Amino acid sequence: MAAELTSTKLNAENHLLLDQPLLKLPYELSRRNFKSVQRLVEREKDYTLPALKDAANASLANTQTPDQTIAALDAMISRMQGLKRKMEGLHQEEKKIHDQSRKRIHHLESLHHIPSLADVKYDQWSRVRLDRLIVDHMLRSGYTESAQQLAKEKDIEDLVDLNVFVQCQRIAESLRRGETKDALQWCSENKAALKRSQVKTNCCTQYNLEFELRLQQYIEIIRTGDRTKYVDAMNHAKKYLTPYIDTQSAEIHRAAGLLAFPRDTRAEPYKSLYAPERWSRLSELFVRTHHELLSLPSRPLLHIALSAGLSALKTPACHSAYTSSSSNSLSTTTSVCPICSTELNELSRSLPYAHHTKSYVENDPIVLPNGRVYGQHRLLEMSKKVGCVEAGKVKDPTTGEVFAESEMKKVYIM
Amino acid sequence: MDLVQKEHERLSKRLKANQGIKNVQSTIDLLQSARDAIAADPSQASITLAKLQNPVKSSFDSINDSLKETHSGLNKYSKSLDKLFKDRPLPSTEHDVLSSHENLINRAIAMHLLREGQFSVASTFLAEMTEKKTGIPEPGSESISPENAATLLNPEEVPSNEVRKQFATMYYILHELQENSNLLPAIQWSRDNKEILQARGSNLEFELCRLQFVWLFHGGQISQTPVASGRQAALEYARREFHVFLPRYLREVQQLMGAMAFCPNLQDSPYQNIFNNPSAWADVAQSFTREFCSLLGLSADSPLYIAATAGAIALPTLLKLQTIMKAKRTEWTSQNELPVEIPLPPSYLFHSIFVCPVSKEQTTDENPPMMMPCGHVIAEESLKRLCKGSRFKCPYCPSESHPREARKVFL
Repeated sequence: MAAELTSTKLNAENHLLLDQPLLKLPYELSRRNFKSVQRLVEREKDYTLPALKDAANASLANTQTPDQTIAALDAMISRMQGLKRKMEGLHQEEKKIHDQSRKRIHHLESLHHIPSLADVKYDQWSRVRLDRLIVDHMLRSGYTESAQQLAKEKDIEDLVDLNVFVQCQRIAESLRRGETKDALQWCSENKAALKRSQVKTNCCTQYNLEFELRLQQYIEIIRTGDRTKYVDAMNHAKKYLTPYIDTQSAEIHRAAGLLAFPRDTRAEPYKSLYAPERWSRLSELFVRTHHELLSLPSRPLLHIALSAGLSALKTPACHSAYTSSSSNSLSTTTSVCPICSTELNELSRSLPYAHHTKSYVENDPIVLPNGRVYGQHRLLEMSKKVGCVEAGKVKDPTTGEVFAESEMKKVYIM
Repeated sequence: MDLVQKEHERLSKRLKANQGIKNVQSTIDLLQSARDAIAADPSQASITLAKLQNPVKSSFDSINDSLKETHSGLNKYSKSLDKLFKDRPLPSTEHDVLSSHENLINRAIAMHLLREGQFSVASTFLAEMTEKKTGIPEPGSESISPENAATLLNPEEVPSNEVRKQFATMYYILHELQENSNLLPAIQWSRDNKEILQARGSNLEFELCRLQFVWLFHGGQISQTPVASGRQAALEYARREFHVFLPRYLREVQQLMGAMAFCPNLQDSPYQNIFNNPSAWADVAQSFTREFCSLLGLSADSPLYIAATAGAIALPTLLKLQTIMKAKRTEWTSQNELPVEIPLPPSYLFHSIFVCPVSKEQTTDENPPMMMPCGHVIAEESLKRLCKGSRFKCPYCPSESHPREARKVFL
């Protein structure tokens, strides 16, 4: 069944597909925040209650001087104050996140009040969305400065996640430089969440970020070639690698084997363990894990939107060897198709073109002797406007040839 | 969406109440008062401490309770989010052709920024791009494969200074036009490109001059010409400038002159439309932008914008398709064509589309549309199949023709 050829209907709910991360990310952040509050409280509780009990018991048994009791209480108070301070910090952060979410919800909500795709408001909304998508793309590709500037100019800082990506890029960058510290710290901060996601997606994510990082540290120790350090390496392996023996036994065995091979070995798989490319793979793994944890899509939203959009717009004429009569830059009667425009032409070359089941031409098509088809009305209008055409003649806007009006021939397109 | 909003509001309210921190404070108060009591009267220490146990414990419990509430609020919020986006996963990442064309995307973005007039952002972006490109190539750090590297070095790939300059000119002219009601730079530009514009059949120069006339008529002042103003200035302007337009725009010029007679009562005259057109400036600005971009071989609206918007419109359909294909385990049969029709707003159709009425396929370079002498058009492949080399009847009318007589047409 043929669908409608054109439509300006706007289904807001469906339309928000691309905008899921907009709300999901702040949610993940605020959950993370909540978890840290919970952890803090738990820790203080575990300290204060027993301490208080001990103090009471000691005081009852008279094994403690009042000064000691007061000192114990002071310690408790200062810890509780520390807790309060930390909670207040997190609370501020939480507030910021909520503010952001509110603005985002409002932004998405406003789409529901736009009646159709032809509405001017939709145009504005969609432009904001494009800016968001561009910022998202820039952030993911590491063009942080540009992203910040664009977000600021367009006043959409609350609709994009600058900080999250900046942090992510910083750690990814440090990994590329060959430093594991930041990444490991990130791992320990998100330990619980990581564990959960590992369980959930164990079958598809073969790699465990923390394990890989520790393994890399181990490799780096051995890379020094200094035999005296091998003991360190083995200790390191015992401490950090063996806990993963259930899932990563093959890698651990390989790591043990690595001890026997010098760093310039040609034997696989040890050669690839020594390979410096391992760092960039680690960096990619980190980015992937990071995005997964925050339920961010793995590729830039702009790519998703573009690949769908380019295909929907593309026609066989866009990469044709012949200039299209209906859309080219040679006359004012037509506007340049975005796919034909130089910016996107190369990009869309490899994509499929849109499917159509009905012809779509002007309703008064005529053909000129050179085989070009135009809408008659528009062609006549246009010839009138062009200066150098005598009465009774028409000019082909694409090729510039001039024909007599009588040479126009009706053409039937079904 | 409403649900999400409601849950979020509830969550924020709880956050504002800030119960957790208050409870912590009350615990601190408890401990503090006990400490003071003991300091004041050491003999009561054990009793005070014993009394302290339960209140502290219960205040911790209430901290936990408030945390639990927050937790359930978060859960509800998350559920409402899931509901909003349910069954709408983002498209799978299997065939991401675009990620291999990173530099092309970046180029498109840079062009977009330039044509939106975001010059400072654009230059930052270009600088960061070159920095990344020329940055010390750590072994294997960037995914620059050999052919990518080749295109990166190609100066064509990044918008050159020339393009940037062009857009800067465009924005200067637009700025003058919109902010200062100064049409002169625009008129100058249209004169410089007169021949091309005329060949395109563009009215831009005349439109600009006509607006200038109207503007003078309404009392616009050019600082250099202090004498005449209002009608007089307009008339002088017309005498000076309009004669070049006479061959092509005789009627329009006559209209403008005729309006002079109605000067005291333009509101009720037939010329009201020309002289009091509130959108005239915006229209002229728009047609100027269009012409300017067209001369550069670019579309008037940012292609990136149109493509991204079309993408957002198309995505739901494509996703539905993906789920159906997965459920039925069918494959995509047409290699370089999308399998479904995607309804876009009419303004998103740029090319004429010809679908052969016989084969129901779109025509391409290899299979172009052919017109038979009777004026009906079908695709070349259909034609060959129908005629089998000899005379044949048109499938849509009684006329017969020979395949040799069919001619290729361009839509």
